[in-house]
Amino acid sequence: MSEEKIESNNIEKSHEQHHASHTNGKLNLFKNFDYNKWYKFMFIIPLLFLLLSVFYIGLTYSRTGDFILKDVSLSGGTSITIHGDFDYAKLESELKTQYEDISFKKLSDISSGKQIAFIVESSAEPEPLKASIENILGTTLTTENSSTEFSGPALSSSFYKQLIFALLISFILMSIVIFILFRTFIPSMAVIFSAFADIVMPLAVINYFGIRLSTAGIAAFLMLIGYSVDTDILLTTRALKKKGGTLNHRIFGAFKTGIFMTSTALFAVLPAFFIVTGLPDSFRQIFLILALGLSADIINTWLTNASIIKWYCEKHDIK
Amino acid sequence: MKLTWKIWVLVFALAFAAMSVLNIPIMYNILLGILIISILATLSFVQEKSTRIFLLILTGVAILAIIFFTAQQGVVISSVTVDSTAFNEGLKKGMIITAINGNAIKSTEDYSSQISSLFPTANKTKLQVQTTTGNFIFLTNETPAISVSSISKTNLKTGLDLSGGARAMIRPVNLTLSSSEMADLISITSSRLNTFGISDVNVRSVSDLAGNNFVLIEVAGLTTDELKDLVGQQGKFEAKIGNETVFIGGEKDIASVCRTDATCAGIRECLPSSDGSYYCSFSFTIYLSPLAAERHALITNNLSVNSTDENGTLFAGGGKYLSERLNLIVDDKLVDTLLISEGLKGSSTTQISISGSGTGATKEDAYNAAKANMKKLQTILITGSLPYKLEIVKLDSASPVLGKEFTKNIIYLGLIVFAIVSTLLFIKYRKIKITLAVILTMFSEALITLGIAALIKWNLDAPSIAGIIAGMGTGVNDQIVIIDESISEEQENLKDKIKRAFFIIVGAFFTIIAAMLPLFWAGAGLLRGFALTTIIGVTVGILITRPAFGDIIKRIQE
Repeated sequence: MSEEKIESNNIEKSHEQHHASHTNGKLNLFKNFDYNKWYKFMFIIPLLFLLLSVFYIGLTYSRTGDFILKDVSLSGGTSITIHGDFDYAKLESELKTQYEDISFKKLSDISSGKQIAFIVESSAEPEPLKASIENILGTTLTTENSSTEFSGPALSSSFYKQLIFALLISFILMSIVIFILFRTFIPSMAVIFSAFADIVMPLAVINYFGIRLSTAGIAAFLMLIGYSVDTDILLTTRALKKKGGTLNHRIFGAFKTGIFMTSTALFAVLPAFFIVTGLPDSFRQIFLILALGLSADIINTWLTNASIIKWYCEKHDIK
Repeated sequence: MKLTWKIWVLVFALAFAAMSVLNIPIMYNILLGILIISILATLSFVQEKSTRIFLLILTGVAILAIIFFTAQQGVVISSVTVDSTAFNEGLKKGMIITAINGNAIKSTEDYSSQISSLFPTANKTKLQVQTTTGNFIFLTNETPAISVSSISKTNLKTGLDLSGGARAMIRPVNLTLSSSEMADLISITSSRLNTFGISDVNVRSVSDLAGNNFVLIEVAGLTTDELKDLVGQQGKFEAKIGNETVFIGGEKDIASVCRTDATCAGIRECLPSSDGSYYCSFSFTIYLSPLAAERHALITNNLSVNSTDENGTLFAGGGKYLSERLNLIVDDKLVDTLLISEGLKGSSTTQISISGSGTGATKEDAYNAAKANMKKLQTILITGSLPYKLEIVKLDSASPVLGKEFTKNIIYLGLIVFAIVSTLLFIKYRKIKITLAVILTMFSEALITLGIAALIKWNLDAPSIAGIIAGMGTGVNDQIVIIDESISEEQENLKDKIKRAFFIIVGAFFTIIAAMLPLFWAGAGLLRGFALTTIIGVTVGILITRPAFGDIIKRIQE
């Protein structure tokens, strides 16, 4: 009974007791909960989330003609980052009247409350946009007080296509590795399905909040494919290959290890949003997507994947 | 705790990583390596706790001492203007200046104060530049055309987004280049940047999944406008009399170009224009090849000598000039038009004065504009033109000030993440040894990844650092799997448990490699750093730190 050890440092307990009768705090939740009865229904919750996500991404597609909202690095245009003490409210309102497709991002340091940078993005060429900003702020943009990024429209759309292609290849390669690892169809498919949901759910959330993805953002999705299957591999290995203990014990043991893994990772990425926020945009996007993906992974692994593997084991008499 | 060979591997890897990251003289580097290895080894043999802690503190102090006392003193030459006195005397990029005229140079401030006390001067003075590679003594009356920067304490290089600089991606319009043509484009682009006197130039060819080839240029200290002007233009220079070309840019027609010598190149005069702005003119001398001089003689021979211009006005000062002018054309745009004095008719002159101008709102602006135009013209006269037009498909610049702020914040964030993960591990396992083992492993993975990055001279940009952190994250996941398997109470032996843990870890390793691999090619490799550091991180994990961690946990459990 591996799973009790960690929790039981200060609680006396007998090892031979049935798991449902433990008085341990965490296990209490499961005391009156019959996993054997409910696991098939637990599958429905993430499925609903997934359908909702797919629907929302479809909605984005029908509105914008694409599955994601692209920033200038993927759609072509200019992004100018200005830092220094300027009247950004004025800049924002005046630029809005001059350019149709313009968007703004603020970057401030949360601990000091100090604004670090102001980012202006538009499909315009860099020269006119820079001139407009200089005009409004009444200052010259130098290499010291500003950063500029310009991507030609042809290049960015080519980058976008390539990154989506890379995402596809990445997913296929991951699937191949999973099939080689487990060599059984349903458990492998369960992992792959869970990884798919790990990508779709964060994407829907990002679309919902109107966040425009950059090249680094798509790269983060590739990483998510590799990163999020950790817990699924853990679950599947423990359920299928571990000797001793009942299936429920093994799943629950994997859950305790896996949830600690995921929550540690989540706690590790959260400071980027609450403690040290003055970070490059590429960095922030990577962390944001990892955070959303890890959150989605919790339900996808422990509800979707666990339900499928449990059903599979019951059916194949793996106890 | 006895050292197994797996732990030895980790110890050696750590030592090498520290040696690779720190930019210190080789002797100290070797010493540092030996120190780390021996102290970690002693640490594991000594059983007494207080002695171990004492040794650990000693290691830390020794490492810090090495870092502080051995950081090289002096300044490093970041660029030398080609053909300048300093260049001809043999000063090269990368040399370390330790003293000037016997005065020690410890910082860039020392260097500037020394140089500004000596120059500008009317008479040629003796300048003795002491470098780690030798002494250079020369007589000069001009400020050495070199720029210097302080020596970095580490061998780590940060990417454009963190160190500041400009980046451009160019490709020829409607043309696919063969690999040899690509090499030509790279060499012309590099030499244009070199003749312009720019430090830290990185020009390379990149290709993407769609089969497109680009030239990627990364430089420090240039604005996007300057970079665009330098590398985005075809640089076709033509000097024409009527419809006939006398000479073009490049070494075939132009033997040499006067650039830094004030007697034959410089800003000639600055005058206010009628609209209140300023206008500065420059001129510099070029020397034609015999072939081009011959052509000049042939063409001018057919021209008539006039004392009035096209409108019938007498030339100022009663001079006499040829009937056609010499037109200087850059990329099909007329830059300047020069009168040819009668004495040059039919002569195979080799020395020609090229002139042009710059305008600006203030005198200073106009001066700088003229200077920049002169430099640009000189550059394309030296390097010649490309046989095709170029387009700039990507043009970025990053502020070094903002980059510094970002770097500082990323380091803070790294420390906070470290602290959070350690705290969570301690809360969960309540065992100081296990927590320390995980922290050591996390730190090792980060250090070894950085060591490899320093070794292969990888520029660490923000996504690369995100990759290192994510790699550490998967590392922590793996260690949690190992710990949980090893402390489980199953009736199996520890070896089998660790073996199963490794099945999970190897599986996770291959999935992350598979997932990140496509990033090497997509998007012209601009995100390669992210994939690379992640892959290095997880590979270091699976080959070096994880096996050692497995052994450490076995020892702790036994």
